[in-house]
Amino acid sequence: MPTRPRPRRYPARYSAFSLLRHGLAGDHLVPAWRDRELKNSYDVVIIGGGVHGLATAYYLAANHGITDVAVLDKGYVGSGGSGRNTAILRSNYLTPEGVRFYDRSVRLYERLAADLNYNVMFSQRGHLTLAHNDSSLRTMRWRAEVNKLEGVDSEVVGPAEIKKLVPYLDVSAAVRYPILGALYHPPGGIIRHDAVVWGYARGASGYGVHIHQNTEVTGIDVAGGPNGRRVRGVRTDRGDIAASTVINCTAGWSTLVAEMAGVRLPIQTFPLQAAVTEPVRPFLDAVVVSGSLHVYVSQTDRGELVFGASVDPFAGYSMRGSLEFVEGLAGHVLELMPSLAKVRLLRQWAGLCDMTPDFSPIMGRTPVDGFLVDVGWGTYGFKAGPVSGEAMADCVATGRTPDIIAPFGVERFAEGRLLGEKGAAAVGH
Amino acid sequence: MSMRLGPQPGEVLDRTRPFTFTWNGREVPAYQGDTIASALAAAGVRVFSRSLKYHRPRGLLTASFHDPGCIVQVDDEPNVRGAHRLARPGMRVRSQNTWPSLNFDVKAINQLAGRFLSAGFYYKTFIRPRWLWPTYERVLRRFANGGEVPPEAAGDYYDKRYAHPEVLVAGGGPAGMAAALAAADAGASVLLVEEEHQLGGHLCWGDEADLAALRGLSERVAAAPGIEVLCDSAVLGRYEGNWIAVVQRTVPGVAERLVKVRAGTLVVASGLIERPYVFAGNDIPGVMLSTAVRRLINLYAVKPGERAVVLTGNGDGDAAVADLKRAGVTVAHIADARLGDDIVRAHGRGRLRSVELPDGRRVDCDLLVTATGWTAPAALLTMAGDRPVYDPRAARYFPDPARLPEDVLAAGGIAGDGSLDELLAHADAVGAEAARRATGAGDGPVPIPTLPVDAHPALFRGRTHGIVDFCEDVSSTDLVQAVEEGYRSVELVKRYTTVTMGPTQGKLEAVNAVAIVAEATGRSIGETGTTTWRPPYVPVTLGALAGRVFEPVRYSPMQPWHEAHGATPLVAGAWIRPDHYGDPHAEARTVRGDVGIIDVTPIGKLDLRGPDVPKLLNLLYVNKWSKLDVGRVRYGVMCADDGVVLDDGVTGHLGPDHYLMSTTSSGAATVWEWVENWLQTQHPDWQVHVTPLTTAYASMNVAGPRSRELLERVTEGVDLAGEAFPYMNVRTGRVCGVDDCVLWRIGFTGELSYELHIPAAYGLHVWETLMERGHDLGIAPFGVEAQRILRLEKGHLIVGQDTDGLTRGFSAGLDWAIKLDKDDFVGKPELAWQQEAGEYPRLVGLQPLDGSVVPEEACQIVDPPRRADRRPRIVGRVTSSRMSPILGRSICLAQVDAHLAAPGTQVTVRLPDGRHIPARVTDHLAHFDPTGDRLRV
Ligand SMILES: Cc1cc2nc3c(=O)[nH]c(=O)nc-3n(C[C@H](O)[C@H](O)[C@H](O)COP(=O)(O)OP(=O)(O)OC[C@H]3O[C@@H](n4cnc5c(N)ncnc54)[C@H](O)[C@@H]3O)c2cc1C
Repeated sequence: MPTRPRPRRYPARYSAFSLLRHGLAGDHLVPAWRDRELKNSYDVVIIGGGVHGLATAYYLAANHGITDVAVLDKGYVGSGGSGRNTAILRSNYLTPEGVRFYDRSVRLYERLAADLNYNVMFSQRGHLTLAHNDSSLRTMRWRAEVNKLEGVDSEVVGPAEIKKLVPYLDVSAAVRYPILGALYHPPGGIIRHDAVVWGYARGASGYGVHIHQNTEVTGIDVAGGPNGRRVRGVRTDRGDIAASTVINCTAGWSTLVAEMAGVRLPIQTFPLQAAVTEPVRPFLDAVVVSGSLHVYVSQTDRGELVFGASVDPFAGYSMRGSLEFVEGLAGHVLELMPSLAKVRLLRQWAGLCDMTPDFSPIMGRTPVDGFLVDVGWGTYGFKAGPVSGEAMADCVATGRTPDIIAPFGVERFAEGRLLGEKGAAAVGH
Repeated sequence: MSMRLGPQPGEVLDRTRPFTFTWNGREVPAYQGDTIASALAAAGVRVFSRSLKYHRPRGLLTASFHDPGCIVQVDDEPNVRGAHRLARPGMRVRSQNTWPSLNFDVKAINQLAGRFLSAGFYYKTFIRPRWLWPTYERVLRRFANGGEVPPEAAGDYYDKRYAHPEVLVAGGGPAGMAAALAAADAGASVLLVEEEHQLGGHLCWGDEADLAALRGLSERVAAAPGIEVLCDSAVLGRYEGNWIAVVQRTVPGVAERLVKVRAGTLVVASGLIERPYVFAGNDIPGVMLSTAVRRLINLYAVKPGERAVVLTGNGDGDAAVADLKRAGVTVAHIADARLGDDIVRAHGRGRLRSVELPDGRRVDCDLLVTATGWTAPAALLTMAGDRPVYDPRAARYFPDPARLPEDVLAAGGIAGDGSLDELLAHADAVGAEAARRATGAGDGPVPIPTLPVDAHPALFRGRTHGIVDFCEDVSSTDLVQAVEEGYRSVELVKRYTTVTMGPTQGKLEAVNAVAIVAEATGRSIGETGTTTWRPPYVPVTLGALAGRVFEPVRYSPMQPWHEAHGATPLVAGAWIRPDHYGDPHAEARTVRGDVGIIDVTPIGKLDLRGPDVPKLLNLLYVNKWSKLDVGRVRYGVMCADDGVVLDDGVTGHLGPDHYLMSTTSSGAATVWEWVENWLQTQHPDWQVHVTPLTTAYASMNVAGPRSRELLERVTEGVDLAGEAFPYMNVRTGRVCGVDDCVLWRIGFTGELSYELHIPAAYGLHVWETLMERGHDLGIAPFGVEAQRILRLEKGHLIVGQDTDGLTRGFSAGLDWAIKLDKDDFVGKPELAWQQEAGEYPRLVGLQPLDGSVVPEEACQIVDPPRRADRRPRIVGRVTSSRMSPILGRSICLAQVDAHLAAPGTQVTVRLPDGRHIPARVTDHLAHFDPTGDRLRV
């Protein structure tokens, strides 16, 4: 397959000027991505039109000139976790391998708007993980030390500094779980998650990648031989498609899809809930996370407060919210910021998270030749979209597993090389 | 200019109780019963807010809870629904999102730029240069629409309540009242929830006949014994198993109360919500829905304008015409949509001036009333699994009863059309059937009549483009553009344009949005589908969801003593316990020199009885348990299935078939669950009875060379002599006059020490007695900090601190404890594998060469790079560190890679400030008394 980067070809460049022209002349808008005929064969079929699938398609085309690619999604693009997450980006992880990987992603995100010619509104207003006891303070220091060693901006700060960054926090000792300190990570922040999905879709489509929505993969054809098994293509509710490379980017559904190829993954799917309030005047710059209280808060540019927490206690595929979740959430939010009692919750929802035992992803090749996975994204995979897409594209184009994802291979479970990120990822975001 | 009418037959005002409140600093008169909006409208106010994007002036649209034009700040409360909230004397009401004032809004400059602020404009601009984005963003944030929350906003009182009615009726209009009555008649207990301040729904603003019907129903509801009515309350959501959340706003002294209801049957009688019409100028103040003018006139005696144009497609529009005329409003033109009439656009800036008709005529007016159809508020039904079906004949959605679960029914207007009598008959049958399903009483299903469906012209968008989502300022051109740009699914259109994502959550605009997307994509409305309704049905305060704050705290029985003696508290999960009493180093020295006493009540304690306890211990601990004689205790370590260290503690054999297991303080709950889980799921046949005793005992550790001498003074029935009660033994006896105390001779601190478990009620007595009797021995209390120093001197690990979520047994220095030759135990395969692989990190003792430096816990141990441009490699980390008062130097425990674990190895510790310091791996984990002579005396 070719691996020469292609020049970008956008259907129509976005700029203030083009908007002005449209406003004045009222000329017709060009679709961000095109609907195309479903072919019966592609070089690469990507299952899942979330940020991971679309980014992989985009980098296959943009970095390697591989454009005979189809992205299939059973719903609309971003209908899975990519459209349901709380859009927090950060790289203050715990293991050096994790920190390096997420740092690369944050850096790609920093220039993504320009790369995609689509404003994804990455708002790097800082990220604070609060510690309410000395054991979490120790974990914060551990993360800070590893982060610094990997060149990531993180430090442990005390209550006075925290109060300065987030005046609404009650940092007094009088509360039930006093705030002893926090891990402060200035490059962290939030992004418009849908914009990332659409930007990648538009970019990929501009290179000729096919994006097929409402196309569900129902089976995977694998040929077995004495020298191992090899993927042949996929079956969908719109017909069969031949492909020598098939990538599973289906997050919450990843075990179901992997099983179609006879690949078992050490993943369990859990619901994760989130909620958002009515808009109020912006007062909160940083993302605030509390592990002990199982809650995190950020405020969008629209003024809404976005809340999240840890996964539901039981595995399942339900995407309905629960009352207990919002009750607990509200209690914990008010524990942190008592003055928000009169703010109203507007909407709650849930998404599916593919949890691995060590809170790190599973990426790269599988025992079935040509069948690759980019899964195990749990509660934290949105931030990894760009680096995963880049690395998976590399992996397909060169046939070699790039260093940056080598630690995440599925074989680590058989080899006992787990990459424990629970200390940095237990509160899902 | 006052717009207040004379008394109306159905008005809800108490004209004997006038008062004033302020609106943007100006005094406004009101009557008891007025909403903020009705009082303002009566006072002639027409502009209430500015729109989100274009900062266009907005007036009343629905004059109901959902009115997007009248969301205001009341004192320190943001986003108050002004058309619903009752006015109160002295309340300070301000408009939101206006600067510097409502009438002169600087941001309205956006209106000029409006043509460029089309759907998704922010995705297409501000891309370059990258460094300018934070500045753009600050400006964007200033445009955020919403009220203010002052940082020190006063906390109101919130509360919760549980209710268990057999039938919950959502909606107190005629259908809801009839359903409630029928259910109560059938013997069911009923909770009837109504969003408005009074029951009656649309009858409240109806004619004489409606009012008479309302009076009849109200009297019967009031007289029915089994019906509880909650007005000014809303059903927020229906969750699995008819678990239903209701917010109630009428409890005196309670800002909002969350009522959590487990209902037998849910009857949704939420009526219909009137739909706005989309055309140019449809958001100019003075353009209102027919229900809005009927509410204003009949409920609040407010004249909505002077000269009106009415676009009507149904009977409610006609009724509005009648109301207007009765209120003295000139009806200048009626456009009857049933006859094909239409309007083209509304003209006016800040207030309506005229309406343009299809023939080009302009009719001057200050009020335009539209009656163009209905939206079924199907949120609760869809939360129960329903998928409403679009009926083109009626131009609206209907519930699909086939998809509803047994315990959810729909009654009245949401289910169909018909006369009041037909609706009442329907609701009556539904109510009886709901009662039957909930109580099981009665003989067989109650037949439910089918309601007729009336034809209604399909009126969504006229011949011009206008606002679809009034909260989000999204126009129909935005939707069309989104479709043109490829965002063809309604979900994508919603996300791209933010239509239906504002405070009304689609109640007014969802159907119009779907219709416009259908038109733009060339699909039918049915094919286009709808967006998902998500709870809550109406926004609810965080305060109500949180309720009163119950954060339980656990204290030991000795807490009063600690408080009286200056203990500094330490929050340790649910527990609050003494960290120290002033000087932890002195406390540690007392333990090494004389005798100290620490409150260890939070230690987890499980009483285990039965013949199979040894099997359980052998299964859960990595070490051997078969031969533990009565009177002995043993230290044990538990690993999880993955070999990772889970907990540690000692377990003592108290008597035949009777053991007491202790766990770490933080692991108490986890271990109890763990034990029960293995017993109940894997070994239900084992005879083991588990009783958690953590708080049944007050626990204290008496430690130090003089501890035996002290205990000899107060203990009866136990021979404390070294040979009679050696190290790692357990006895029961009487301490300070208290029977049934358990004494363990163990030593976390490394000194001769006894852990006493005293029946909790006597804990304080025993503690005080020991303090008194030990006075001459130099006894002093010590806290958690001194204990941490002492245990670190002894090299005892703390699970969760010196181990982490990946530390398997052999990495925790537990080689001596793990018995791989045991038949089986939890974690064995993983541990066997770990041992075989060999290359694993180890826990070691570590001392900085410079004993005055204490590296902070979690400092990394690094392999310094040979080249300056390389990053150091991480090869371990300091897990515990303290200054040792007895050794006068810093001491640590650390996890290091295998090749650095040999005693004497020099490693490099990186301090948080970036300095590197050398440290040496010690011979033992213990820095002090490695041979353990002191605890065996
Ligand atoms: C509430 C919540 C909050 C979160 N917060 C954060 C956060 O703050 N930061 C962060 O980094 N991460 C967060 N996450 C995690 C993040 O959302 C996911 O890890 C990430 O979106 C995964 O992206 P993806 O592209 O791999 O999968 P998805 O976006 O889930 O895409 C998978 C797609 O596969 C499609 N699919 C499934 N099966 C099939 C099939 N058989 N055929 C065709 N298509 C199929 C689905 O329709 C779906 O669109 C959160 C998740 C949730 C639920």
